[in-house]
Parts: sequence; C-alpha cells; structure tokens
Amino acid sequence: MTGQKAAVERREARVCAGRLRIGFRVVGSGPGLVYFQAGGPAPCPLLDRLAEDFTVHVLELPGTSPGDPYAVRELDGLWDLVLACEEALRALELTGAPAIGHGFGGMLAAEIAACYPEAFAKLVLVAPLGLWLDETPVADWMAAAPTELPRLLFADPEGPVARAAVTPPDDPEAAITAASASLWATGCVAKFIWPIPDRGLAGRLHRIAAPTLLLWGEQDRLNPVVYAEEFARRIAGSVVKTIPECGHMPQWEQPADTHHAIADFLS
Amino acid sequence: MKVTYFQQVPYRHLPPDFAERYESVVSTPYHALTRPEQVADAFQDAMGELMHAARAGFDALVVTEHGQCSYDMVPNPDLLAAALAHATEAEGLSTAIYPLGRSLGKAREPLRVAEEHAVLDCMSRGRLVCGFPIGLGYDANVNNGVPPMETRPRYDENLRLILRSWTAREPFAWNGRHSQHRMVNLWPRPMQDPHPPVWITATGNPRTIEFILESGFGFNYFGWFGARTTAPRIFERFWGTVDALGKPVNPYQVGFMQLIGVAETDEKAEKLYAEHAEYFFQRGLGSVPMERMMLPGGIDIRGVEALLRDPGDTGLYARMRTAPFRDLAETGCAIVGSPDTVAEQLIDIIKRHRIGNLHAMLQFGSMPAELTKFNIDLFAAEVLPRLKGIWRDDAPPHHWWPERLGGDLSPLRAAAGAVTGGLR
Repeated sequence: MTGQKAAVERREARVCAGRLRIGFRVVGSGPGLVYFQAGGPAPCPLLDRLAEDFTVHVLELPGTSPGDPYAVRELDGLWDLVLACEEALRALELTGAPAIGHGFGGMLAAEIAACYPEAFAKLVLVAPLGLWLDETPVADWMAAAPTELPRLLFADPEGPVARAAVTPPDDPEAAITAASASLWATGCVAKFIWPIPDRGLAGRLHRIAAPTLLLWGEQDRLNPVVYAEEFARRIAGSVVKTIPECGHMPQWEQPADTHHAIADFLS
Repeated sequence: MKVTYFQQVPYRHLPPDFAERYESVVSTPYHALTRPEQVADAFQDAMGELMHAARAGFDALVVTEHGQCSYDMVPNPDLLAAALAHATEAEGLSTAIYPLGRSLGKAREPLRVAEEHAVLDCMSRGRLVCGFPIGLGYDANVNNGVPPMETRPRYDENLRLILRSWTAREPFAWNGRHSQHRMVNLWPRPMQDPHPPVWITATGNPRTIEFILESGFGFNYFGWFGARTTAPRIFERFWGTVDALGKPVNPYQVGFMQLIGVAETDEKAEKLYAEHAEYFFQRGLGSVPMERMMLPGGIDIRGVEALLRDPGDTGLYARMRTAPFRDLAETGCAIVGSPDTVAEQLIDIIKRHRIGNLHAMLQFGSMPAELTKFNIDLFAAEVLPRLKGIWRDDAPPHHWWPERLGGDLSPLRAAAGAVTGGLR
C-alpha cells in the first residue's frame, strides 16, 4: 500500500461508475490509516494524536461532505454503501491499511472487513454498532431529544467534554448551519440502520481476518459494553479493551487512554 | 363552498397531570391510562357524531390516520370510512366519504391502500375523496420503521403506483424501489372516472406546494398551529406559487381545517369548550415533542435551515403543551364563540385566503358526545348556511370533488395514464 505522502487536506474518489464522489479529510503524515466516523465531521482530539504517526484518511459518509448533501441518495442501502466505500479505498490505494471505526463507522468498517477480508491490515472497532440484544437494546439516539444526548454519549453528562459537545456556536448563523448539518448527518446514518442497527452483521463477523481490537467505554449507555463480548466471540483472535470512566465517546472523553490502546495495538 | 365535518377519535380521559407524568401522547402507556369501556365509547361516540353530522347536512365526513397515539386512536381511517360509506348509502345521505389522512410515506403496502380506497368508492357509489399526506415523523418513522430520509421518496413512488393501479386498462408489472409486484390488476377499481379526487395535507413546505400544483391535486392545510399567524404565511405562499407556475386560481383547490366551538353566546361558548380545547392541545398535539415530528433526515437539510431561521410556520406549537385557552383563542388555534362571532371569523379567513373547503373540527379533546352533537347542530343551523354561498356566484368548477356530489373531474381524466413506471 501507499500513503507515505505529505499531509493534504482532502482527497476524493469517484465510485459507482462515476455517480458518486466519496471524500476523505486527510491529516498527518506517516503510513496510511483509514478512519470511519460515527456520523458527520467533528473536531476530535484522538485524530490530532494519530496524525503524529499516520496519514489519517477520515472517510466522509456520503451526504456529509461539504456542499454535497444529496450524495447519500445515490445509495439504496448498506450493501451499496459497503461496495462504494471499498471502491473508494481501492481507488485511493488505501487497501491493506489499518482502519479505525467508531459507532456506525465501526459497523461499516466491520462490514467491509467481513466482505473483503484483505481490506485492512488491522482493525480497531470503537463501540461499533451492528448487533442487537433484546435484553440490552442499543439506545434510540437517533430519535432522542437533544437534551437526552449527553447522558447517552458521555459517562459524565455534566462534565466539560459533554458540555462542549452540545454547546452551539455563538454566531447564530453558524449555529443554524451546524445544527442542520448535524441533524442531516444523523439522517444519513439513519438511512442505513433505521430503526434498529442490526443488518445481519452477526452472521458475517466470522469472515473478518484482520487482527481486531474492540475498544469500549465502560459506561457506554448508547451501545452498552456487553456488546464487546458479543463481537469478540464472533471475531477469531480479537481482543477487548475497556476504558473506565468513559461513555460512548472514548476519543473525546478519554483521549489519552484511547490513543494509548490504539497505538499499542497498531505498533 | 364545501363544509365538511372533521372527526378524530381521541381517548378523552387522560389524567389532569398527564403533562407532568408523561413525555408525549405518542408514547403513552396504554394499560395504565385507559379503561376498555372508555375506549369502546370513544368509537361508538365518534361514529354516532359522524352520522349525526351527515344528517345535519355537512358535505363530507372526514377522518384521519394516526398510529400508536392517544389523541387519535385511528391507525387506519378506511375502517371508519367503510362503516360510514355503507351507513350513509343505506340512509341516502349525499355526503362525501373522506379519509383525509392515509399517509403514503408511512405505507409499506401501497396496493392495499389503493384496494381499500377502491372498495370505499364502490361502497359509497362514487362519493370517495382521498387524502394522502406524506406522514408524521413519529408515525411513519418511529411506528412504521421507515427511515426518515426515505419517507418522501416512498411517498412519491407509492402515490404513482396507486394512481396507475386505479387507472391502468391492462395488468402491469411494477419495479419500484420500495415495492415490486409481478402483476398489478386491482379488483375492484374505483367507481369514479378516472379515480376519486386526491388531496394532500401539508404544512406549507414550498416543495410540497409546488408538487401539489404541478400534479393538480387539492391542498389541505390544518389550522392547529394558530391560523391567525400561520394562515397568512401559508396561503400567501400557496397562491404566490399558483401565480408563479401560471396555474388557474380556484378556491376549491384549497381546504382548511379549523377547530370550532359554537354556543348561544361568547361567554357560554368559552364555558362549554375551553377545557376541551385545552385538553386537545395540551394532552394532544402539544404533547408531541418536536424531536418526534422532525426526525433526522426527514426534512431536507435546506428545509431544516429555513425552519431554524424562521420558525413562523410552526405558530404556537412550541408552547402548546401549556397554552391556556386565552392563547389558543387569540392565535386562532380555536375559534370559539356565538354563531355570529364564529361565522365572522370563519368568513374572514375563507375570503381572505380564498378557501373553498372548510373542515370543521367540532369534536376535540375530552368533549363528550352530547356536547359534540350540540356543537354540530348549532353550527349546522346558524353558521353553515352563512358559509355555503361564499363562492357560489363567481367560482370555477370544483375539480376536487366527486361528480356525483357536484364536482367536475374532467382535468383528472385528461391527466390520467401519465404514470408509466416506478422510480427505480
């Protein structure tokens, strides 16, 4: 694989016979690494740390790229999305790089890794979606009231990290743009997993061949930590690491521990 | 002027502290809050009130659709409409049967909708009027599991399939994104030629208004958000779009729903209806939180930006859960008063906004059957006659009404057969 390039701001791949552009925000330098976000773009302290060692390619879910909100309409469902992403990774010569995926991004990375066992050298899944236990359901965060979100996302919903995440920009126009973009990004995710994030991944996880780290916040109230074991027993040789005092957003709530665990695993 | 009787089937006995104890009326626990006899009474009373209105001379009986909620226990309006179609036909009552709320963004079985409506049109011998709203977020997306972003495309495709299934002369195959059928060949077909008139209820989204006008359907707008402030915005937008698209101006293309309470005097009306209006808004529509209406992706990103910049279309909605009767009356959410007061306010709205169809909501909230029938009788005797003649002299034909009841569907006949395929 390549990727030993100087950091650039953005790369794009044309996929689906030219009908769709998939964008990547690119940060840092070093070997290539693919990062699948949980939703739309958000500043993330973990990315800054990873950028010191890798050229991190942050995949923009179709529909969340700047100025291209309707790209998501080119995709009918999860199968289309998996194929489009794999095409994009191949086009940008990122096949075989390690990958990190969080939440829905973790589910997407796992789907790609299950379909294409050679896609990633290593796989880090941070509280990935994709499985469902009736007795411990994944929270309905897509339909939750905005006031409910801090409790679902963070171990400490009153803490500074949680507060910063839900505080809108001061400028009213920027606040409107940010709120609309965030709602739309969730809508784009919802297109692939509404109303329940179970598209049969349980029956495909055994195909994952990449060494896999499952990283989970111990107080994850959105996608509870019991799912870590559910993933682990289906992915041969996978390792579970849990992070204390941490909810569904380890990269924000415990960036140092999260980075440490990932760096250890990828080294 | 057409004046219809508009009915929902609310559970009328929610406790006074409902708002403090429960998050919404669309997640209301059933067993803790209901008694089976009172649920049965709600249906018995609603059907009685509808028939009472038919006998009192209303032009149509309107029913709506809402799944899994306490403020309108009608998951499928066609069930009520079927009983009404038969009963009115048996009594020889010339009233339209109007299920106004069959949501097609929610419908996973659009052919079933087409079939049910065809049956209704046959049962009523051509008196059916069809209302196909896009669908509310909590109902289409939460209750029926349709991804919010898929609601609108599903609606568009379902409507095309229904229109074609009603009018196609030969069996056809349908290869849609949301449904596929090897053979579509409905039995029965609607009696009306080419099919019953179609109405779309909308909240004023400019794209939807354009779609309605380009398709030649009727436009229904509900005054629940407080028509005094919202109606000028919505109807100016509608008529402005009519102008911009070069479409003919016809008041009969517009329907408007208004909650109304009539008594002999203004004072008596407030005394009789205030508590029930408060129940309707506070323990009904006002108890549907915004995040259950606007689910992520359900409204286009540009539409969300527009709504956040200018939330004026939502009127009183944000504070409806606690709004006292005075606020409801001031904003026009409820028009309550003597026959003169009510007629004056309605005539003003009708003339100002060129409305050719008024949907009179005369049962609301916790109103018991006796009071509802009193409201129906007084409205029919004292208000309705003053509205009926409003457009009589200078109005063009009513192209959105059954021909058996005086409508003229010739434009529909000219357009029939335009749909040829799915949206794949």
